[in-house]
Amino acid sequence: MSESADHGHLLACREVTVAFAGLRALNAVSLTLDRAEIIGLIGPNGAGKTTLVNAMSGFASITHGSVWLDGVEISRLSPERRAHRGLARTFQHGRLFGDLSARENVELGAIAVGCSAREARRRTHALLEEVGLLELAASPASELSHGDQQRVSVARAVVAEPAVLLLDEPAAGLPAEGLGELGSLVEHARSVRGAGVVVIDHNVEFVLGLSDRVVVLDHGEVLTEGTPAHVRGHAGVAAAYFGTVGTDEAATRTVPVP
Amino acid sequence: MTRSALRLAAELLGPLALVGLVALVASHLSTSDQTDAINVLVIATIVIGLYVFIGNSGVISFGQISFAAVGAFAAGIYTTPLTTRQTTMPHLFGILARPELTNVESILLAAGIGALFALLVGLALMRLSGLAAGIATFAVLEITYDILANWDKIGPGPTTLASVPVTTGVGQATVGCAVAVVIAFVYQRSRSSRLLRASRADALAARGIGVSIVRHRLGAFVLSGAICGFAGALYVHALGSINVTEVYLTLTFLSLAMLVVGGSQSLWGATLGGVVLGILSSFLTNAVNGTTVFGFSFTLPNGLNTIIFAALFVGALMLFPRGLARNREFLEKWLGERPPRPGAVLGPPGGVGAVASAAAGHAGAPATAAKSHATAAAEPKP
Repeated sequence: MSESADHGHLLACREVTVAFAGLRALNAVSLTLDRAEIIGLIGPNGAGKTTLVNAMSGFASITHGSVWLDGVEISRLSPERRAHRGLARTFQHGRLFGDLSARENVELGAIAVGCSAREARRRTHALLEEVGLLELAASPASELSHGDQQRVSVARAVVAEPAVLLLDEPAAGLPAEGLGELGSLVEHARSVRGAGVVVIDHNVEFVLGLSDRVVVLDHGEVLTEGTPAHVRGHAGVAAAYFGTVGTDEAATRTVPVP
Repeated sequence: MTRSALRLAAELLGPLALVGLVALVASHLSTSDQTDAINVLVIATIVIGLYVFIGNSGVISFGQISFAAVGAFAAGIYTTPLTTRQTTMPHLFGILARPELTNVESILLAAGIGALFALLVGLALMRLSGLAAGIATFAVLEITYDILANWDKIGPGPTTLASVPVTTGVGQATVGCAVAVVIAFVYQRSRSSRLLRASRADALAARGIGVSIVRHRLGAFVLSGAICGFAGALYVHALGSINVTEVYLTLTFLSLAMLVVGGSQSLWGATLGGVVLGILSSFLTNAVNGTTVFGFSFTLPNGLNTIIFAALFVGALMLFPRGLARNREFLEKWLGERPPRPGAVLGPPGGVGAVASAAAGHAGAPATAAKSHATAAAEPKP
């Protein structure tokens, strides 16, 4: 892939390989993300979803390949430099700053990328209000329920008004009614700056419902990609999840449909 | 006045009031007891210096007394009269042989040298955390001690620098300690400190939101070096003499113990620890030479003072693992931002979905997650 072709995409992973101690967690994975696009990243445990997000955000060293943001290669930049260039991410289990309040957690997401304290406060107030967390704003993050921690964690990434938002299992632990507020946070990111979003979650229905395009990973490689409808009908996807590739049963199975 | 303004005022005025109280009591004491009060204020200043780095970053350092040491020797040498300097330290580098500085000039110089030394050390060490940081900063203390104790071109070497003008009284020690409190307060309200405290809570998540941990740690380390250097100057000007052994292991242990016992994560804790344990330490030291309490005279065997101090330190840690201040600022418990939480549901960490996700193995992950959210009806049957 030439460099000029990357200029057309907001984020591009080119043949990204990540190996730990001889084990290839990702094998030549390519993926592109456009402005205001939401990509769902699904696959069974160990497929390499989080590793791919780590490779994009700088938390995993790339053995081969490259990562591009807005036509600029960022493969060798530290996670914090990538954050300053507009790449925000969340982590599994929230990873909030436990002794700080929910409000401070979100404010820091803006302050860390250079926002003034006043602007950070304004954005934080608006976001917490939008997701119904205003009354818990002063509570220490460690005392919030798991679901609230997840939403605060997404708000801490969204408040930076990033160009790219990477969400690693944001719906884990959220009750069904919380999924709507999560969706509105993602929409907020998309509407404010036309953010491109990559979302990983075990709740496949949540991911398929939210995404414009879905990429399925299995054993560190892209199994297939396409629209949610395409993925639902792809026999290999269910086979990857249930480990029965090559049997007659696998050929007739589809991903659960609501 | 709003609640948050009150909290902010208490955060600054609490430690300042404590410093003022020591000064008030000291002003009514005999001259010899005033020396003890001055020592308490100087050591509280050192503890505040330690707090600026250790408290904000969460990284342990055994090396901050090095900055107090270079500050003390710089201030001591530059205020020693020129003729005395030539006689007692004939091998000094030319740059140290003159000029003769005033008290205030020497204190400012000590702060600058402490900061510069911390910058040089910090550039090399700020990537380290945990045990590695502890050992590396301990090595800095050791190296500084060895150089100061053996190199007669930069100081008196192993001998005592004895002819420093005694210019720090209760007033200057009080102002010095108060200045340290104000600097630490301003710093901990700063953007850099807020980001550093976030990294203390979760370094990985902090990097994820864009916090350059090394840069903010270095800032705190240099500021801490400046305050320690400044305190070192007060120390030498209060005593009128300095030996390198006085700014080495014992002071490192004492000051760290004071920080931990007071509460390492708040300015109130650092000030409280410095003052309370500073008084205790002075009392125990005096008791070795014989003291009188409520008309009862006694003398502690030499060394027992340190043992008692260490035992009290361990006891305090067991009783108050988060320090006397419980890692809160002054009155924070009452003025802190804790509104009622109507309707808040406190679940165990990890709700149903999280448990389901965690339990979801290679087989059945989508089905399990979908069931937990009651959104999917069709579960594929194997």
